[in-house]
Amino acid sequence: MSKTFDRFAGIAFLLIGLLFVIESQRISESSYGSAVGPDIFPIGLGAVLILLSLRLLYETFRYQADTQKGEPVLYKKFIVIFVSALLYAALLEPLGYVITTFAFLLVAFQTMERGKWIKSIVIAGLFSFGVYYFFAEFLGGSLPGFPVFL
Amino acid sequence: MNTIQFLMDGFGIAFQWQNILFAFVGVLIGTAVGVLPGIGPMSGVALLIPVTATLTAGLPTEAAAASSIILLAGVYYGAMYGGSTTSILLNTPGESSSVVTTLDGYQMAKQGRAGSALSIAAIGSFAAGIISLIGLVLLAEPLSNVALQFGPAEYFSLMLLGLAAVSGLAGKSMTKALMMTVFGLMLGTIGIDAVSGIARFTYDIPVLYSGLEFLTIAVGLFALGEVFKTVLERDHEDGTMAKIGRILPTRKDLKESAAPIMRGSFLGFFIGVLPGAGATLASFFSYIGEKKFSKTPEQFGKGAIAGVAGPEAANNAASGGAMIPLLTLGIPGSGTTAILMGALIMYNIQPGPLLFDDHPEVAWGLIASMFVGNLMLLVLNMPLVKVFAKIIQTPKKYLLPIIIAISFFGVYAVQYTTFDLYLLLACGVLGYLLTRNDFPVAPLVLALVLGPMIENNMRRALTISNGDFSTFVTNPISLALLIVAAAWLLVPLLLKLKGRSVVLNEEG
Repeated sequence: MSKTFDRFAGIAFLLIGLLFVIESQRISESSYGSAVGPDIFPIGLGAVLILLSLRLLYETFRYQADTQKGEPVLYKKFIVIFVSALLYAALLEPLGYVITTFAFLLVAFQTMERGKWIKSIVIAGLFSFGVYYFFAEFLGGSLPGFPVFL
Repeated sequence: MNTIQFLMDGFGIAFQWQNILFAFVGVLIGTAVGVLPGIGPMSGVALLIPVTATLTAGLPTEAAAASSIILLAGVYYGAMYGGSTTSILLNTPGESSSVVTTLDGYQMAKQGRAGSALSIAAIGSFAAGIISLIGLVLLAEPLSNVALQFGPAEYFSLMLLGLAAVSGLAGKSMTKALMMTVFGLMLGTIGIDAVSGIARFTYDIPVLYSGLEFLTIAVGLFALGEVFKTVLERDHEDGTMAKIGRILPTRKDLKESAAPIMRGSFLGFFIGVLPGAGATLASFFSYIGEKKFSKTPEQFGKGAIAGVAGPEAANNAASGGAMIPLLTLGIPGSGTTAILMGALIMYNIQPGPLLFDDHPEVAWGLIASMFVGNLMLLVLNMPLVKVFAKIIQTPKKYLLPIIIAISFFGVYAVQYTTFDLYLLLACGVLGYLLTRNDFPVAPLVLALVLGPMIENNMRRALTISNGDFSTFVTNPISLALLIVAAAWLLVPLLLKLKGRSVVLNEEG
């Protein structure tokens, strides 16, 4: 386990807990006449999370220096795939399912391993067209298929 | 009508052609999910929810729910069969519940007895599946009758018990597990409050009014989390695959494994019924037990067939047993059953004691289809085990992007908002970071599903008692449940203080 991450997570969750408690005060009073309004549960949860985060922070000071995992982390690949996934999400509605899925898969396949373009294109093409036609045409689901301007 | 009659009606539903097909597809995908290292039953089920939702879109709600849950449950217990394959052939467990199978299974494979090990695993899983189903049939009615007597206070305490059990056993640090549970409960409060109709934490953002979609979060945390992990930390695919050889077990193998299978089945079933303790724990205990029972304990670790038969039976029986609290009490005991419950709720079907009265076709159809599915799995796994072994070789570079694409499709096809796609990606990153740092995500998902129910029951109980919190401890059943819940959290802590190593349940 990484001490830095645990501390960071402890502080982050502490803030989330605080935010919950503070923001719960703003929830309007229940008109439903019950002694327990909609704010009790979130306030309680926030308080418990604060206590647990403090406990975690306390624990990070107790255990010895972290043993680093020797795993090499391949950030570059991940970032390319993640950014293309973000673009996929952003462009799905304007450009339609088929084009974006095809492009995303092609980029991701090539990021995972360069080369074998034809195989990548065939698999990406089969998946994007296949899913779209099976879902939209055969099952009658609704999916933005192609660019809106076409 | 009595139980037998209901069960027969259930078979009537399970034998409808589309449900046979759904069960078949479910167990087939489940086996594949079990075989593929990296995709566990939890992400397998989560990924398939949207697919089943669209497949069943044309059916009436109840039939759609029955068909979907038949498929999804098939994935769940199918994965238990498949998990053993990689353990035996590659010494790499496909699921955490098959970890102990590697101990003797891989040794058997090295001695050229891989076929026997695989078929004994399949036979053991089948026997266990049937035994746990019979248990489910017998216990379902009485348990739901007991649960019907429960009021809101008892329900509240029962659900707390479920959460405590899962948090107490999940992961290395209980603090972290509890934090995840509380965080999940908090995420569940976002949206319009069901009791008062007041919007909470929505900040006038329209997509937040209906709350964060459980499906998106589950798929993100589990499926995408695992994909990101594999992209970031290249998995080492070392180890050569052992030859399978003769598939049918010898008479001697059968004789030696009959008793371990029976013991494993019963043990696994009872462990499965307990919330929090799942298939991993069951297989682990079964292995220890078999070693104690055995006349030749020195054979264990060197290819003893009992060391494969017992644990494999146990993990399958546990997955059957885990259906009991889900169906009769409406309380999932593990991450995977939490996801199954989320799927049922999506169809507006509330698991719990009323399930057997309100939606008998869903409950009994599911139970009957599990008999059918287990039979299919036996048939699939004996002759086709060589085919499944091939799935292991699916190149990761195609598999991973396709999993991302399937999750995008699934989430978008159900939610129709780009917001959920961003949420999905965020949950993927979060899932990776949290899991990597020993924050278990299964309690989060469980809490997200149970959260609104816990809150509603708490407020109903408090409304009845005029805001008096002592109602939870003056009610005897509720008090007993709370004490058990507290014990579940305290006992592992005390054991840890004493320096005893605590068996962890890393399965979802």
